[in-house]
Amino acid sequence: MNRRRLLLAAAGVAGIGAASSPWSPSALAATDDDLAYANFGLASSYLLADFYGRALQSGRLGPVARPTLRRGRTAANLQARALTDLLTGAGDTPATTEDFTFAWPTTALATAAATRRTGLTLLHAVRGAYQGAAATLSETSYRVLFASLAASVAEQAGALALLGADVPPFPVALDLEAASAALEAYLG
Amino acid sequence: MRSRLALLLVALVVGVTAVAGAGARPTTTPPLTIYAAASLTDVFRTLDPAQNFSFAGSNALETQIRNGAPADIFASAAPLNTQRLFRAGLVDKPVTFTANRLALIVPKSNPAGIRTIYDLRSKPVKLVVAAPAVPVGGYTITVLRKMGLSSVLGKVVSRESDVRAVTGKVALGQADAGFVYVTDARAVSDQVNIVRIPAWAQPRVRYEIAVVSRSTNKTAARAWINAILSARGQTALRNAGFLPVAKPTT
Repeated sequence: MNRRRLLLAAAGVAGIGAASSPWSPSALAATDDDLAYANFGLASSYLLADFYGRALQSGRLGPVARPTLRRGRTAANLQARALTDLLTGAGDTPATTEDFTFAWPTTALATAAATRRTGLTLLHAVRGAYQGAAATLSETSYRVLFASLAASVAEQAGALALLGADVPPFPVALDLEAASAALEAYLG
Repeated sequence: MRSRLALLLVALVVGVTAVAGAGARPTTTPPLTIYAAASLTDVFRTLDPAQNFSFAGSNALETQIRNGAPADIFASAAPLNTQRLFRAGLVDKPVTFTANRLALIVPKSNPAGIRTIYDLRSKPVKLVVAAPAVPVGGYTITVLRKMGLSSVLGKVVSRESDVRAVTGKVALGQADAGFVYVTDARAVSDQVNIVRIPAWAQPRVRYEIAVVSRSTNKTAARAWINAILSARGQTALRNAGFLPVAKPTT
């Protein structure tokens, strides 16, 4: 197995593991900030899953990309499940996919390069928010969850970048306002 | 366009009522008494000016129906109010007929300099909201909680009885900002600026409508509701800025 295949496979497996293992619903008292990151993350996970689905459907990235896109979609769905559990455990009503009408600019998935760029833009904002959450939240178990989610998203970004010659943006923590603004055009 | 829709709606209601009542009584039917959420004021009046409307906060209307007010139809901005009445046997099974979103409005002069909802946290602001029992008041609390901004409720200077009162206070410059439905914000867009609330923080705003159990004009009431659920009724709601529901459902 060459390095490229190894990284692609690792991204999928690690992504799934990261999202499914560190979290189980609990009755922890969630602060407003905890819930805000969780709500944003949940919407973003649905958005990512939608992106991967559309990228798969368009076929722009070619057959070699299909396993990466499928793993990305699986990881996004597992992230959504983890965040749904967090919100439910905190006594909130989590959003569902039916609550969103995502907006995809016509150029977003027009070519292979545009598809990768769009995916990396989304992943950069989501990872930044998760890093911000991991750095600022007060409850340790929430910080662990968001750190795991950030790692999963980072692996997805690496895998997507490997499909082309893209260099993912350097990971920086974003506050919720900045991350939200970055995704506003897509979240509808 | 609006007047054509209104005429069609009136014709549909009158027609159905006339057919249902043929042979039993004269075809001239009294107007329906429709209790509706304040946010439906413009669209319902435009759709069908021939009926008797009472617009207010859905919680106040629920209380009035519970106390025996002579309504034929109840249209609520939150399922909670209709469902409570349904469980009490006071309305027939409610139907979801439209949806909405929340927005923050600021006066055109924008004295507090609010550009994003996050500015509410950092700037001194006189904020006006609806009371928590009013649907839009409850939705406001949900938005702020979802965004981690519950602390800005400490800047509330007034809690109003319905969304129109919130809109009016901001439009008149008596407050720096207020949370209203997007449809109400559109109606005063010459007087206010609209600050968008992100999709991920939006509450699930669903409107329900039901025939009041004690109505003496149930056939006409059902016909009126069917007209609202029809493609033309739904188009009129969308034109007023309301959001479609996948399929109006019970």
